[in-house]
Amino acid sequence: MVTVKINGKEITVEDNTLILDAARDAGYEIPTFCYQADLMGIGSCRMCLVEIEGQKKLQPSCVTPVLHGMSINTDSGTVQTARAGVLEFLLANHAMDCPVCDKGGECELQDMVHKHGPHKGRHAEPKFKFHDKDYVLSPVIIKNSNRCVQCMKCVRVCREVVGQNVLGALGRGDHQEPTSFFRAFMNCEMDGNCIEVCPVGCFMRLPYRYKSRPWDLKSSDTICPYCATGCRMVIEERAGTLMRAKAQLGVGLNSETLCARGRFGQDFVNNPERINQPLVRRYGKLEPVTWEEAISHIKENLTALDGDKIGGIASPRLTNEELYLFQKLMREVLGSPNIDSSSRFSPDAVEGFVAATGMGEGGVSVYDCMEADTVLIIGTHLSDENPVIDYIVRRISASRRMNVIIASPRAMKLDSSANIVLRHNVASENAVLTSLVIGLNEGKLADTLKGMHEAQLDANLKASGVSADLISTVVNRLAASSSIAIIAGTDFLRYPEGISGLGLLKDLLKSRGKKVTVMPVLDRANQRGAWEMGVHPGFGPGYSETRKGLGTEGMLDAAMKGELEALYVVGSDVASMYPGDDFARTALSKVGFLIVQDMFMTETARQAHVVLPGAAHAEKDGTYTNQEGRAQVIKKLLTAPGRAKQDINIIRAIGESFDRSFGPKHFALVLDEIRKEVPSYADVSLSFNNKRNTDNKLDNRGALVKAAAAPAVKVKSFNPASVETSGARFILTTGNHLFHSGRSSMKSETLLGLLKGAVVEISEEDAASLGLKSGEKVRVKGANFEAQMTLLTKKGTKSGVAFIAENFDDAPVNRYFRRGGGIPRVDIIKTI
Amino acid sequence: MEKVLLKNLGKPGSHTLANYVASGGYKAFSTALKMKPDNIIQMVKDSGLRGRGGAGFSTGLKWSFIPKDPTLQKYLCCNADEGEPGTFKDRGIIDHDPHLLIEGMAISCYAIGASKSYIYIRGEFVFGAERLQEAIDEAYANGYLGKNIQGSGFDLDMYVHRGFGAYICGEETALLESIEGYRAQPRKKPPFPALAGLYGKPTVINNVETLSCIPAIVEKGPEWFSKMGPVKSPGPKIYCVSGHVKKPGLYELPMGTTARDIIYNHCGGMLRDGKPLKAFIPGGVSAPLLMPADLDTPLDFDSLAAKGTMLGSGAVIVMDTSTCMVKTAYIINRFFSHESCGKCTPCRDGTPWLTRILKRIEHGEGRPGDLELLDGVCDNIFGRTFCPLGDGAVMALRGALKNFREEFQYHIDHKRCMVS
Repeated sequence: MVTVKINGKEITVEDNTLILDAARDAGYEIPTFCYQADLMGIGSCRMCLVEIEGQKKLQPSCVTPVLHGMSINTDSGTVQTARAGVLEFLLANHAMDCPVCDKGGECELQDMVHKHGPHKGRHAEPKFKFHDKDYVLSPVIIKNSNRCVQCMKCVRVCREVVGQNVLGALGRGDHQEPTSFFRAFMNCEMDGNCIEVCPVGCFMRLPYRYKSRPWDLKSSDTICPYCATGCRMVIEERAGTLMRAKAQLGVGLNSETLCARGRFGQDFVNNPERINQPLVRRYGKLEPVTWEEAISHIKENLTALDGDKIGGIASPRLTNEELYLFQKLMREVLGSPNIDSSSRFSPDAVEGFVAATGMGEGGVSVYDCMEADTVLIIGTHLSDENPVIDYIVRRISASRRMNVIIASPRAMKLDSSANIVLRHNVASENAVLTSLVIGLNEGKLADTLKGMHEAQLDANLKASGVSADLISTVVNRLAASSSIAIIAGTDFLRYPEGISGLGLLKDLLKSRGKKVTVMPVLDRANQRGAWEMGVHPGFGPGYSETRKGLGTEGMLDAAMKGELEALYVVGSDVASMYPGDDFARTALSKVGFLIVQDMFMTETARQAHVVLPGAAHAEKDGTYTNQEGRAQVIKKLLTAPGRAKQDINIIRAIGESFDRSFGPKHFALVLDEIRKEVPSYADVSLSFNNKRNTDNKLDNRGALVKAAAAPAVKVKSFNPASVETSGARFILTTGNHLFHSGRSSMKSETLLGLLKGAVVEISEEDAASLGLKSGEKVRVKGANFEAQMTLLTKKGTKSGVAFIAENFDDAPVNRYFRRGGGIPRVDIIKTI
Repeated sequence: MEKVLLKNLGKPGSHTLANYVASGGYKAFSTALKMKPDNIIQMVKDSGLRGRGGAGFSTGLKWSFIPKDPTLQKYLCCNADEGEPGTFKDRGIIDHDPHLLIEGMAISCYAIGASKSYIYIRGEFVFGAERLQEAIDEAYANGYLGKNIQGSGFDLDMYVHRGFGAYICGEETALLESIEGYRAQPRKKPPFPALAGLYGKPTVINNVETLSCIPAIVEKGPEWFSKMGPVKSPGPKIYCVSGHVKKPGLYELPMGTTARDIIYNHCGGMLRDGKPLKAFIPGGVSAPLLMPADLDTPLDFDSLAAKGTMLGSGAVIVMDTSTCMVKTAYIINRFFSHESCGKCTPCRDGTPWLTRILKRIEHGEGRPGDLELLDGVCDNIFGRTFCPLGDGAVMALRGALKNFREEFQYHIDHKRCMVS
């Protein structure tokens, strides 16, 4: 600790604290352009110059650490003159087209000139101009270099945080321009973080161009509804239209970063295809009705049904409050244990995964994981599935000594930050993890591992396709680490065999006295919340014991046999997500009474007897629990279109039609009930959202949920996933595309502008051997489905692996899969 | 005076290893390899050698900052970017006596424990780069470079790295960035290169002339060196004289030779009769100019600093009365604004602003108040830039404004030049 004087006030701070941070902590404002907590300091804009007693020159406070006994003046006359001088220089070549600039009103340059002067310019020379017309860099980014203040934050965020290295600077002196070679832009991730960090109107969003002024926007602080990272964002609307979403510096675990989906994908809310009135099927056609009619129709059809013959599927994008009420309706009012939140993953896999990742033990912060000596990332294509976690891993691993180990069949951007990359076969997570367990045991088998013989190592290595050398390197790193974090993704749910290996490795490392943190990474905003609220056939709220029921698969089976009399689906498109060609559709058609509550007319909704118009995240209040177990608040900004209602109100209305005393009237009261019923949520507070974190301390630990009382979940062992035996060349695997998340992002006009048509991804080598090039149209032919899509090649992906994201309407990947069948194989053929 | 640095200049085949060895070359290296590295550093400290690149920092002291940990990779970078207008001293050594530099670098590497060294040579010096490479190849072939040199167990590799044509590449940390393959922009200090330099490893960066002094120091001893020239900045110095003198060129003289001696004695006086000296720049264009009254100032670090200017690279630019100081200031300033790397605001946006004003004044479009504006802009740049480039630009302009203000005023008032 060192003691320094800032403006006469004595303060004590940690060694190596930057003068800037120390001054800001002490409550003094120092203006900056190029400084950003997450980025490496470059000290170039010179706005933050301060006077240090005994030093002739002013010093940049953003790169100068405090030294004991320093006396610093952040606001002396010299400092003020210097600031005004820097601003005068910045304005010298600045375009000064504020009246037509999208940034006007929220421009840092405007604000600073207003505050620090000079209010009269002396530059009366011709300005240097980069170009006359703004240029469009991508479907979402438009740029005007004449306004650039050369803070290079765009370039630095692209390199240091996003890791895509698309941007760089060209030219020298006042001709220096942050831009890119146009070919490089084809690799752009469209995340728009360059826009977010730009202090002026240089990098701008194209979809928002000339649409509004910041002072005309109403905003609300909420959480992104796509993946389960739980990024904080502000969404803004004008005249009932959602205009944009942006992140805020120093707020939320994501700070100023978002991915393409988060920043540009929120406009699905505005989609004119939204359902805006309740519909009831009459004489084979869905016809508009009033809410009263719809609810009483539902009541009529559900009354007197046997609870066991009713099923309920709710989307993991609903709020905790909605999900809690949903399971309460199903279990307590309708008497049905048949509840699920997913049409993709089996309830058993979910239970095993919940147990193996220790979700019942409470929340785990991603920042805790990043403090470990070694981080093992397995079962997820992190860079595409949870881009912001990818940013965090990249940023932190670059700044401290740690091992990052990535195990994935597919190459990813984060590989460049990894010390070791294990390219294993599809669905062989278990073989990889078991190899590690055997390696760590070095022949001295622990009790729990009896029966596992070293000869198995060879079998496991063969199954995983990873070399023994690599495994032993990883084993050595793990053995040498005192703390280990495992980031485990959704592939464990797709191929549940790996769950037992995950549990085994975790237990073994723990038994060696190591600190082990496991963080699940999930792909739906409130997936963890759905499970913790008990929307699962195997456990109730807080992973409590409950009467076991059927999961999605069981319900569809029952429906097929004509034994499911009613099914209530909220926000889930079972028909287009469930594996198999027509099975789900046929099964749904045999359900006696199908209620679908959704924002859009999905495949499932088209088959419904009653369609209820639900609301988007921007139209409701509530809480989401992200993958780490952080309960965060979402806030209402807009009103649902037409007669559409918040899902919580619809669920309650149905509940009240049976029991007047069902459910509290307000989401906050539902949360109160959750706090009482679910002990791990006892401390969840609505105030967490409004807490602004100090720079670079993004870990709002108060929001992490506590451990469940007695989680009724067990690690299970599953049979190895079989692979289809057809002679086709590629094994097909799936997940989310970088630009899409499930099917709801397919309703976002901007994201569709980035990518609409399906893409199949294979390795460069495989493509070359087939004589195919990236960007070509190909036919992907499976045993029971084939479709045309665009080929994308990736360097470093395991040979023989084909990836098609689950998002595309034109090539529904579920059709390649067969219910109960193994992992499909496909052939890729050039389209003629 | 017996020449030390330019002793082989002008001899036929001076660049070959054979001739260099014949004239006593690489003896110092052999001597050094038998010494303890710390003793060599002490010798260089005792000699009082100060860096010839411009800042004049004690070379021995700089070397002593390098951590002694033998497991750490260390580097020596020779700054041969020679970008300061008016300077052409290093080029003389590189083109005509490359082995002197190689020997100096080899001894320095041995002293600081560096096993890899780079010569960062200005991109335009194509001939020099080729010649250096030939010399390095020769040195490898004859066992002066490579593994286990002369059985001492000392390994040394040497690389020529051609620059990319920017003045800023001569700034030591920008030079490191450039070698690493990034845009040449200065790095923040601390950490200083002695602790975290090239690829984050301890690095010494020395000028060609500095390193070329080393063999003589080892051979003849620090006392011999320290007795040459003034006590506080001893040794030989190459002055590059250009401009309006009869015999411009390289002059190796003891440090502290006066400008009068150089211009009127060594260079044969002013170029044209009837055009006496108007002003001279003592150390490259960043150095504020001096007036005829200052002719008796010894050209060494401290005497010039006392006059408010600097020795810099030792490039003496002589101007007679036919020179328009506004045009001179404009051209010099244009150079700086063109070479500003773009990193920090005051230099990036300030120097072009100065250039625009000076251009107007030079072209007869000056406005009243322009001189005050120039002063104001200079004040906003000076001392607030990231590296000394912006300061250099301001110092040069301030020197001209201070001594020739009426000439600038004349340009503004009469819309034409005072001298032509």
